[in-house]
Amino acid sequence: MRTVVCNKNDMAPGDMKEATLGRASIVICRTSDGEFYAFANRCIHQGAPLSKGKLCGAPEPTDKVGEYKFCREGEIIRCPWHGREFDAKNEGRTLSNPKFKLKEYKVEIEEDQVVVYK
Amino acid sequence: MTKEREKLNLIDTDIHERVSYEELLPYLENPWKRYITDCHWIQEKRMPYTQPAVAGVDRADARVPDGRPAGSDLGFMQKQLLDDVGHEFGILTGALDPSPSSMHGWYEMASALARAYNNWQIENWLEKDDRLYGSVHICANDVTEAVKEIERVGPHPKMVQVLLPIDDFMWGDPYYHPIYEAAQRHDLVIGMHHNEPPLYYGKWPRYFIEWHTLLPTSHMMQVTNMVFNGVFEKFPKLKLLMIEGGFTHMPHLMRKMDQQYKDLRHEVPWIKRMPSDIVREHIKFTTQPLEEMSKREFMQLIEQMGSEDLVCFSTDYPHWDYDSPFAALPPNLDEGLRRKIFSENARALYPKLPQSKGGN
Ligand code: FES
Repeated sequence: MRTVVCNKNDMAPGDMKEATLGRASIVICRTSDGEFYAFANRCIHQGAPLSKGKLCGAPEPTDKVGEYKFCREGEIIRCPWHGREFDAKNEGRTLSNPKFKLKEYKVEIEEDQVVVYK
Repeated sequence: MTKEREKLNLIDTDIHERVSYEELLPYLENPWKRYITDCHWIQEKRMPYTQPAVAGVDRADARVPDGRPAGSDLGFMQKQLLDDVGHEFGILTGALDPSPSSMHGWYEMASALARAYNNWQIENWLEKDDRLYGSVHICANDVTEAVKEIERVGPHPKMVQVLLPIDDFMWGDPYYHPIYEAAQRHDLVIGMHHNEPPLYYGKWPRYFIEWHTLLPTSHMMQVTNMVFNGVFEKFPKLKLLMIEGGFTHMPHLMRKMDQQYKDLRHEVPWIKRMPSDIVREHIKFTTQPLEEMSKREFMQLIEQMGSEDLVCFSTDYPHWDYDSPFAALPPNLDEGLRRKIFSENARALYPKLPQSKGGN
């Protein structure tokens, strides 16, 4: 199954967009480096629609108590409900525990169109 | 939602409707109104952090499409919550702003705000949706006025409880007992919901995550205080709902109070039964924010409380730590218990809710 989501230029780096693939709701992320990623639009915690959250950055893990180093802007999906963070560039794994991840879909750019495959 | 799913017939014991001060003005008399319009009065708030999730303390998808804050529009709430989930009933608990019983002075203003809030709530929410039931807001620190307000709006058919915020007042103190007498007389439950309790020896911890982790301790303090101050011995029909503290701390507290009572009964001779029996007869707890756990772990806690009748489901809509009725409980709970948690325990708690449905 495939679906054409939009034109490549319809999404700027840092944008997030909801789409459907068959009966499934999916969320497309264009990360700050211009790449595209697609995930099931359903948080693995309680099912919130991730497209209503934020594609943002995060304070990176540090060894120093009290240190905030905000980075990865436009690469982290933060859930609209309880705020869990998913790394779009690392298979949608949660920052708190990389064992857990979102369901990911394959994205191809075909003649400037963003196409998602199942 | 794309898929059809089961409608739950939920009785949701914690829904936060929100008022703006502007909306409250027509319900306020002078001079109270002028303190807001001319002097820009706003209620004291102390918490140093308001940022927990993507949209502050609200669900990011619950902001009203026209830009108003989450919880401020009945139509949007009906669509996003009541219709989507399939609520049988929902109990409104306010947004604690204003929170007249949290004020540390100027109780005349607090009482005026409570009256205005109740009128606003009745007109704009309770009388506009059959599913919604309400909480009587009072200024508990002026007990005479508080009782007057319970007498005034308590008999309204859609008012089912009196709301007391958990801050730094201990509500079991005999000073507040006339409130319980009035509530009992009007078949109103006491609902306690934390506002901004300073849990850390009267101060604030450095991080929100610390404060939020230990919120149940503020509920434990109030339960202990209500039990040992003899509130339920004095008002044998009174019921209390502890809202948004969860329930998983209660097996410990019930056992601890029992053990203490065996040793220290002499100090509280008006208590004539085991504290855990008092809890089981008079107090219930909302589920949210429920920790993730297996059915086995969940059932162990229920067993340790010695009753399946103490826990009532709550969503806490529209706040960031909303619990989805479709996902928060462990899977495969027995249907009888699920029905109790979703509706029958709440129905048994609130004598003013229609009693007919479910119950099987
Ligand atoms: S539903 Fe996404 S963090 Fe809870």
